[in-house]
Amino acid sequence: MTLPVDTILVIVILTGFLILGTARLITAIRLSAIQGVCIGLLPVAASAEGTSVRVVLLGLAIVALKGVVFPRLLRRAIRESRTSGEMQPYVGTTASVITGILALIAAFWIDARMDFLPDTHSLVAPAAFFTIITGLFLIVARKLAITQVIGYLVLENGIYVFGLAIAMEVPVIVELGVLLDMFVAVFVMGIAIFRINREFNHMDSDQLRNLKG
Amino acid sequence: MNPGWILPLVLLLPALFAGAGLLAPSQRAALRFITFGTLASAAAAVAAAAIALSRAGELTALGAWLMVDALSAYHLLVMAVVFALSGLYARSYFAHDAESGELSLRTARRFTALWFASMAAMHLVLVSNNLGLMWVGIEATTLVTAFLICIHGTPTSLEAMWKYLLMCSVGVALAFMGTLLVAASTHGSGVEGASALLWTELRDAAARLNPKLLKTGFLFLVVGYGTKAGLAPMHNWLPDAHSQAPAPVSAIFSGFLLNAALYCVLRTLPLVEALPGNAGWGREILIAFGLISILVAAVFIIAQHDLKRLLAYSSVEHLGIVALGVGLGGLGNVAALFHILNNSVSKSVGFFCAGSIGHLAGTHDMRRINRVTALSRIWGVGLTGSLLAIIGAAPFALFLSEFLIVYTAIQQGHTVIAAALLAGLALVFVGALRHLISITWEPLEGPVEPHRGTLIEGAIVFVPLTALLVLGVWVPAPFWSLLERAARILGGAS
Repeated sequence: MTLPVDTILVIVILTGFLILGTARLITAIRLSAIQGVCIGLLPVAASAEGTSVRVVLLGLAIVALKGVVFPRLLRRAIRESRTSGEMQPYVGTTASVITGILALIAAFWIDARMDFLPDTHSLVAPAAFFTIITGLFLIVARKLAITQVIGYLVLENGIYVFGLAIAMEVPVIVELGVLLDMFVAVFVMGIAIFRINREFNHMDSDQLRNLKG
Repeated sequence: MNPGWILPLVLLLPALFAGAGLLAPSQRAALRFITFGTLASAAAAVAAAAIALSRAGELTALGAWLMVDALSAYHLLVMAVVFALSGLYARSYFAHDAESGELSLRTARRFTALWFASMAAMHLVLVSNNLGLMWVGIEATTLVTAFLICIHGTPTSLEAMWKYLLMCSVGVALAFMGTLLVAASTHGSGVEGASALLWTELRDAAARLNPKLLKTGFLFLVVGYGTKAGLAPMHNWLPDAHSQAPAPVSAIFSGFLLNAALYCVLRTLPLVEALPGNAGWGREILIAFGLISILVAAVFIIAQHDLKRLLAYSSVEHLGIVALGVGLGGLGNVAALFHILNNSVSKSVGFFCAGSIGHLAGTHDMRRINRVTALSRIWGVGLTGSLLAIIGAAPFALFLSEFLIVYTAIQQGHTVIAAALLAGLALVFVGALRHLISITWEPLEGPVEPHRGTLIEGAIVFVPLTALLVLGVWVPAPFWSLLERAARILGGAS
């Protein structure tokens, strides 16, 4: 049972690096979708012996949401806003990947320090911390509003893995509520981007700086 | 019959109204519906609070997933006051827009639906016993209130909305990590499975929880919910959102949304404090965030020229004072809870008056607003009165609650904290008083026809301000005992 889980976690980390390294928006969206699908499969793979209906259904919901619905919403936002399709980073892709490497080291270090976490898979907690740091970095280091949404999705992925790392059972209703909130969040952000674009004719969040003091 | 049935009703009523709001036949009907629906939902919340307070323990429903105790009952009452006032004000604020055709039917319907949805989400935060559900409620408030900010669709309001949406979503995501950590701390404590997120279960098992996990979780919760509560240095989104939103929305933002987020922090505080040998750890964190918020807000208030931004920064200051008061514990708890009501009421009235004065004067720039009392008796006098209350001028209740917090700090021997708090309060007082004098006394350039208000407009300004004056000199005994009862839940030496 270790092998599939480790494989998935490695893919999650790799997609994180690739998102940091890409300059194209559409690629970043695809990569975040791949990462989302992996996240959905993770609990199913982790409970290989006693897979319950609940785990499978939740996994399916996550795969559908993160693998299909979110990328569609984001791609539509790009199409309607007619951008060049470039990420327009504040921090260049090379520097971003180097940041990613540092983040991975930091993630393993945090994991080693947080010895009080319940015993789980050795790779789960570092993958979670790495993904969370990557998401936060993407939010602050990319110019376009839409890339900040991608950063938010990556952050949420990281937190979901973290939930698995500390191995606790969240009641189904709460989990569904969280998923619903996420869905609405991305939906609302999509509409917001559309309206910002209509009003400003661009979607650079760095142009959003009229309010100060 | 089990009186717990009222709790699902408190959630369902505004949720149903949200759906019904989409069917409003005209703008006027939508505005009338906002007023009466808000009053009905507030009445349900007051009834729930009253039932909960009439019992010895807490009122629970749906397998203990919903719970109201003295702390949440008190918050429900404050929220009911803020929403009832704002619901009444929304009608007068939008009446002008509705007649001139600036408010389309589609916008009016959407506003009504989102208004009630935000009410339902805030009720969910207050009545849920499950920390996960509480999180769902807070995140839902972010999502439904985002579009309330940019209902007028101006570029600056869109900018404010984007900042609000992104910063609060990220902050609240961190709070979810905190919630997970708190739940994980139950390993081996005898609290199992689904009940690991129930606050009442956690409280009963508090001494057996894993200290490191719980403390890490608390840090994440303070930073996460603190972002939404506008505690400095996570407050950047707040002045933008609060100043760009329409005035009734600003009022519920500053008047209660911030408190709802802080409430989640207050809920988890007693859990951390109950850890053996850990008393005071969580309180010190709150004191630190409180002091930073007060001082940062004071600096920005001095340099501020926009009336609504001034009120927004004042919210950062007052939430800081609440955090500081709870951080001190004992009498500080009671004073902080008292301060929550005082701040919510005075800030709501302040935003009502600022919104209407903004309509009349055509600007929110305080350098260009003069002699507000000549523009409108109600809004002008109301603005002057509420600003005096907000900066803590003497007979108003805010002076009393702030005084009690300073007194607690000195009595506990925290002289440095008391000095920093007094310095912050003095800066705010002087900084805001300067603006207050200029907008109240500087003469107008030409003669103006003073705006004549309605009876309801007068009532929503002067009844709350009079209440604050009365509470400043005489606190009724039943109200004080309610505060003490709610404060006991927050724990700490008294």
